[in-house]
Amino acid sequence: MQKPHRILLDRVSAYADEAAAFMRRRRVARKPFARLYYAGGRSADHAQDSTAGAELFVAAGRLIEVAGNRKGGKG
Amino acid sequence: MPTVMIQEARARVTVGSFSQMADAPAATAPSSESAEAALAFLTEMSPDLRGAAVLGPEGEALAVTSGEAARWAEDAETLFAAGDTAEETPVEQIHIATEQGEVFAIRSEGLAAIAVTERFALASLVLFDLRSILRELARGAH
Repeated sequence: MQKPHRILLDRVSAYADEAAAFMRRRRVARKPFARLYYAGGRSADHAQDSTAGAELFVAAGRLIEVAGNRKGGKG
Repeated sequence: MPTVMIQEARARVTVGSFSQMADAPAATAPSSESAEAALAFLTEMSPDLRGAAVLGPEGEALAVTSGEAARWAEDAETLFAAGDTAEETPVEQIHIATEQGEVFAIRSEGLAAIAVTERFALASLVLFDLRSILRELARGAH
């Protein structure tokens, strides 16, 4: 049986490593946000410490609670 | 012309375009069976989904994947109310990312859909799926 092509394997591994590193950084760096979209494609972000943002986060928290932790709401 | 003015002009034109499209509210609410089928399809398509609900024209829960239907309706109403008061303008879509999960809400065709997903779900895909099921439900209700 022919061996896998080492150069190709190394290259695929390098891409996978880079993607994994990107995802790790994204998980660490990403902050909570609330984004609203309006007619016409306009969007607006609301900080968690603003009045509107705080209300949105509280409402979102309640929905996350009612949905449960897992698919099917078993958690 | 300053950039802000261009953006405002574009928004006005776009709103005008959308108002011409056939996006009328559903004349009657879709049946609970069709809403449940739509949610079953959504659950099948979205591995990140934790739970979802479809709300009728009066804000009543037509179908939910888990939990109490009344609670979904109440919490969704609170969410949309918070969105509407943020800028005193009716909001179309809401995306809130928290450390516990992500919430997506959309109003279209006189109906509304809410989805709660794991963190880092692809927002464009989730919103597209929610809009699609609302469009299908509204089409079936006419």
